[in-house]
Amino acid sequence: MDFFKTARRKDSGYTVIIGCGRLGASLANAISDKEASVMMVDRDERAFRKLGAAYGGLTLTGDATDIAVLRSAEIERADTVVSVTNDDNTNIMVAQIARNVCHIPNVICRLYDPEREIVYKEFGIDTICPTVLSTREIDRLLGKSKEAKEA
Amino acid sequence: MNMQVLLIGGFDIARTLAASLLKRKYQVTAVHPDYDCCKLLADIKGLQVIHGDGSKPYILEEAGARRTDIAIALTDSDADNLVICELCKKRFGVTKTVSVIKNAENTAFFRQMGVDAVVCATNTITGIIEQLAFVHDMTALVPVGDGRVSIAEVAIPEGAPAANRKLWEISLPREVIVGCILRKDQTLIPRGDTRILAGDSLVLLSSAHQETDAIRELTGR
Repeated sequence: MDFFKTARRKDSGYTVIIGCGRLGASLANAISDKEASVMMVDRDERAFRKLGAAYGGLTLTGDATDIAVLRSAEIERADTVVSVTNDDNTNIMVAQIARNVCHIPNVICRLYDPEREIVYKEFGIDTICPTVLSTREIDRLLGKSKEAKEA
Repeated sequence: MNMQVLLIGGFDIARTLAASLLKRKYQVTAVHPDYDCCKLLADIKGLQVIHGDGSKPYILEEAGARRTDIAIALTDSDADNLVICELCKKRFGVTKTVSVIKNAENTAFFRQMGVDAVVCATNTITGIIEQLAFVHDMTALVPVGDGRVSIAEVAIPEGAPAANRKLWEISLPREVIVGCILRKDQTLIPRGDTRILAGDSLVLLSSAHQETDAIRELTGR
C-alpha cells in the first residue's frame, strides 16, 4: 500500500482522519504503529474505543463539517486528510474544506455512492468507493474460478 | 413558461415557501426523505412532491432538476445542503442555488463552492429576536446585503425628541438616512427642512448597526 509507505518515509508527516469507524480506526492504528503523527476526529467520543491500546496519536471530539473544529485539529499543518465517516455528504464537505480552504496536498475520502462523482472530481480529491472495489474484486474472483474450471 | 423552483428537505420552511411560491405562479416541486412529511406536503394544492433523499442524483433527476431555475436546499445538515447545491449546479445546470446553513462560519466556504445564496437561519433568527426583544418601537427591521445594511420602520410617539423638529435639526449618526416618512396615508420623501410630526413613521436606511443610536436620537429610547 503506497499510502503507508509515504507515511513512513516522511517523518514529519501529519495525518488527520475524520470518522473513527472500522476503516478510520484501523488506518489510525496502522499510522500510529509506523510512529507517524496522526489526529483522529469524531463527533462521538465513544467511537475512540475502537482505537487500539497502543494508539499513540491524538483524538478530538467534534463535528468535522465545522471549520473551527478542523482548525483546532490543526488541519492546516496536515499533509494528508482522510475523511471516512459513514455519511457521504459529510465526507465530501470535509474533503472540499481540506482541499479548497486549507489547501491540503493529499485529500482522500470514502464514498459509498459513486454517483456523486461530479461534485468532487474537479477538485482533485482522491476517492475510494467500497462498492466499486468489491465489484472489481468479486469479478476477479469469479474470473479466477471460471479459469480453474476450464483448465 | 413559469419559473421552476425545487425545494429540498426542511418540512416547515418548505411548506410555507411552497404555498407562497405557488400563489405567485411558480412551478414548485418539493423533495423530502420522510414519507409522512411527503404526504402532508402533498396536501398543498399544485405542489409536486417527490419522496427520497435529495442529495442523490437520481432523486434530483426525478424531481426535474434539469428543468429547474432555482434550487433551495433546506435540510438540517450543512453537508447535505452543500452536496445538493453542487449537484444541482454542476450536474443539472440549475441557474441559481440557495442554501440554508446552520453554522454561520461556513457561509464563505459555501459561496466559494459556487452556492449562489447562503442563508444562516440561526443568525437571522437570533438577530430578529434581539431586535424585537431589546429595541422598542420598531415595527420592522429588514437586513440587506448580508446584514451590513438594514431598513427599519420607526414610529415617532407624542413627546419624542424628533417630534415637531426639522430633519436637519436632528443629529442622526452619519451612517443613517431617513428615506421616507409615512404620515397617515401619505408617503413623503423628506428633505432637510421637512418637519417630523408625532404619529409619523420613519423608514430608516442604516449601515453597520447604527440603527439603535438613530432610534434613540429620534424617539428618546
